Amino acid sequence: MTVKIRFFARFRELLGNDIMMDVDAGTMFAPLITTIAKKNPEGYAAIFDENGAFREFVILMKNGKRIEIADSAKTVVEDGDEIAVFPPVAGG
Amino acid sequence: MISVQTDDVNVGELMNAAKKQGTGAVVVFNGIVRDDNITEMEIEAYEDVALKELEKIARDATERFRLQHVDIIHRIGRLSVGENLLIIIVAAGHREEAYAGSRFIIEEIKAGVPIWKKELTKDGGRWVPGDHGHGSGKPR
Repeated sequence: MTVKIRFFARFRELLGNDIMMDVDAGTMFAPLITTIAKKNPEGYAAIFDENGAFREFVILMKNGKRIEIADSAKTVVEDGDEIAVFPPVAGG
Repeated sequence: MISVQTDDVNVGELMNAAKKQGTGAVVVFNGIVRDDNITEMEIEAYEDVALKELEKIARDATERFRLQHVDIIHRIGRLSVGENLLIIIVAAGHREEAYAGSRFIIEEIKAGVPIWKKELTKDGGRWVPGDHGHGSGKPR
């Protein structure tokens, strides 16, 4: 099954955007992002702390809805999902 | 009109169109790209989600402040100093509701709509820091 991962702003510059990935059934949100972010150490360090946990300010979304960091390790991604990871917003 | 777009709008025309029967006040908030020693500003949005959130903010403001009309236009792409960045136009029966509704909308945009700004300078660029208080590590 295929999911789309979108990073924005600084995270996009470091890790790219609109990444299509084939994943196994049962793949969880947090480990998926960890795997992708590890492709760029600077990108990984921007999103995860030294213990491998999401930094508190990081915002996570699945299909346009926010996911709490506490739930991200037990949130399953499904075929066609759009996953988004981004830093604090700064519009206006 | 609720929109996330590259093109500018005619603020005067929108302001006139905002007047309805019974309107006593129209408040215009026009956010401008400020000259903070930058060459340009790059604005990025998670467009689908940003638009839905702007629409929700407009509905909430309309209900809470009894607004008669709301426009929110947030521009994206590369903008020069002095260009319009964000236009909020609200119409209401009285000034209290119009001012309060306009203020509510801008504060809600700053708090949660997925839009980012990068200030471009002669030496490169810097992302404008957002409010770190609303990450997914903390419930809103």
